[in-house]
Formats: sequence, C-alpha cells, structure tokens
Amino acid sequence: MAANNSVNISFTVNGERFNNVNVPSRQHLADYLRSQGFTGTHLGCEQGACGACTIEMDGKAVRSCLVLASQANGTNLKTVEGFDDEMMEKVKQNFLKHNAFQCGFCSPGMLMTTKEILLNKKKLTRDEIRSEISGNYCRCTGYQSIVDAIEECINEIN
Amino acid sequence: MKAADFSYHEAVNLQDAIKIKAQDDEAVILAGGQSLLPALNMRLSSPTCLIDISKISGLNEIKIDGQTLFIGALATHSDVMNNKTVKDNMPCMIDILKMVAHPAIRNKGTHGGSIAYGDPAAELPALAVATNAEIIVSGQNGERSINAKEFYLGLFETAINQDEIVVGIKYPLLKQGQKIVFDEVCRRHGDYAMAGLIANVMGSKNDIKDLKLVFFATGDKPDVADKTARLYLDNGYDYDKLKNSLSSEIDFAGDLNSSSEMKLHLATVLIKKVLSKLEN
Repeated sequence: MAANNSVNISFTVNGERFNNVNVPSRQHLADYLRSQGFTGTHLGCEQGACGACTIEMDGKAVRSCLVLASQANGTNLKTVEGFDDEMMEKVKQNFLKHNAFQCGFCSPGMLMTTKEILLNKKKLTRDEIRSEISGNYCRCTGYQSIVDAIEECINEIN
Repeated sequence: MKAADFSYHEAVNLQDAIKIKAQDDEAVILAGGQSLLPALNMRLSSPTCLIDISKISGLNEIKIDGQTLFIGALATHSDVMNNKTVKDNMPCMIDILKMVAHPAIRNKGTHGGSIAYGDPAAELPALAVATNAEIIVSGQNGERSINAKEFYLGLFETAINQDEIVVGIKYPLLKQGQKIVFDEVCRRHGDYAMAGLIANVMGSKNDIKDLKLVFFATGDKPDVADKTARLYLDNGYDYDKLKNSLSSEIDFAGDLNSSSEMKLHLATVLIKKVLSKLEN
C-alpha cells in the first residue's frame, strides 16, 4: 500500500506553534518531541507500562509513546519543559524537599501525573495516591518519598 | 520498540472510515490506540494501513436508550468513569474500569476499542458477555447488532466483518435484585489479570436465584461457565467439585505469568471471593 506514509500536522507544544510539519506515520509522539529538543519527555518501555513519557494532551495526561505523532494534529501539548506556573513550582519544591527526585528518569512522568491529581482537586489517602501513580515506575525511591511529596502538595492546594 | 511502516488515514466521518476499511483487508482501526500501539511498537502486529477514527464526532455519546445504557465507541474510559448517567444507572461499570490500566491510559483508551480488540484478558468484553450486552456495528449495509456472546469467536477474533466498525455498546439496565460482582488477580494494580471473574447475580448472598459466571484471562475469549454456575447453585462452594467442573468447561490457556493449572486454581478461588461480596 503506497501513499500517506508521512503526514503533515499542526499543533502547539508549551505555547510554541508547530505549523504543517511533516512526520512519518509510524513515528510515535514521544520520539517526535524528543527529536525537536523536548528531551524532558523520557522513554523507558515504549509499551505504556513505565509512564516516563507521560505528557499533557488537551489538558489530560497521556502516554506519548502510545500516541502517534500524526494523532497530535490540532492538539495542544504540554511537556515537563512547560511546567512554569505557580502550582508546578510548588510541586517541584515539594519533590525537592522530600527527596522525590533521585536519578530523575521517572520525574517528568511523576510530575505530569501529580499535576493531574492536583487538578482533580480530590483529597486522597496515601493508598489512593499510590493507586493514582501506579502507572509510573520509579526504580530509586521505593515511592515513599514521592507519596510524601504528593501528599504535601494535596494538603497545600486543597 | 518502533512500529513497522504503515500508511495513515484520518477518517473525516464514519462513512469515510467504512469505505477505506472495506477496500483494504489489512487496514486496522485506530481509536485510542492504547492496546494497538504497544502491539505495533513491539511488532506483534504490522498492518499496512491505520484508519484513525478518533476525531469522528458523535461517536462518544453516553445515554439511556430504552431499557439499555448506550456507550458510544469513542467514549474514553475516563469519560465513562466521570459520567453521571453511568454513575446513576450502572455504577459497577466505574468500579470495573478502575481495574483497567492506569489514569493516563484511561484518558485515551476507548470503550469501543477495548470491546472490538477482544483481548481475552480485558475486563470490558467479559462485562459485555456477563450482562448480555449488544455490540452495535456499522458497515456498508448499515447498522447491525451482535450479542456479546456471539461477538467473541476466539483469540482477538470477533464477528466484525471487514467493512464494519463498532459504533457503540448497549448494556441492559440491571433489574431489581440484580447485581454485578467481580474481582481479578493480577501482579500489579492495573496490569492485565492472571484470572478474573464477573458474576451476574439475581438474588442475595444466601438466596441466589440465578447466576452467570464469566471468566477473563482464562482462555482465548470471555469464558462463560454455566455448568459450574449451576453446580454452585446446587451444592454451594466446594473447591474440588467446582475446579473439576471448570476444567471440563473452560480450555485454560497459560501465559508467561501463570500456567493453565494456576489459572484454574485462581478461577476456582475467585468464585468464592467474588460471591462473598454479595450482601445478605
């Protein structure tokens, strides 16, 4: 089958407009973003298990390894590089305070998931926090410090 | 971990998608892509053409339709979990979806996609079979409705014709005294189950009038165990007898995490675990 093995798409990343860029059909969004310098989006498993590539698409957390670049046509994306608002500054400070960043590989995905937790504005127990971040692997912290940081964020923001 | 090459079509409407699919028997529908993309990335699947239906409007409706709850194919798991009509009419659906993967995947994965993909370890196909749901598909000759039990034919194999696309699922509303109870065993929250059970029960814990048991992650499709359900109704919980019955009724297929013998054990134990959730 010929034709359409690449597609022209337009979208926004962290407020920066990308117009009519050509992407291979088979390229996933994480690879495309990284090729454009958004290397804060990390790639671990490329099968949706590890959560390191989690980004925000039209206000919702999604796995960028499980979205084709072509599917991003017309969307508004945010990567970890775009986390500059007041709420995310607080989140980063809490992650630092509780030593929830260690090697940093899972951090972009953890921050993205934390943002979604905070936007849902629900008071969560520690067990519920663990369930919310169950889709993000961390191989350093044992999760304890990350749960501590998220718990403090929830207490501060609600 | 990169997909093989394929051509990509963004369908502008349902007719457009049906037309392309009818012309290319290797074309595959892309909705949320949360099962398809891992399969592509791992090269378990390499279709020549993907038809992206995710931007077609009007396919994500959730509504009461007569005596059924209708869920449009493109409603995401998150849409369904946050929907008031679902919460008011079929709250068990929300609890079942909590077992499906993780929040970021539920934000993209679609209801119709999970139904159409027919993964034997997935929860929704088993729920559709357990509740006697109807799968609505649309093709060149218009719409037709397929009963969930007849929809699943084998491993990732369904009764969808090449020119057809799932557009929605109709779940019969639960009657007075009817309950859906379920559980699954998995290695990590959100993983595919090693074995799972959805039970459709009429009656209460000590007075079950009717019982339907549908297992998932056990064989090549949702497994209905009518003989075992009758045995339970007649004799109550007897591990050995139920295990024997299940092994004659279901063709257990082992996988990397659990052997067929282990799945048989888990399925048997799940009967007790699930039915103990009923109220008196």
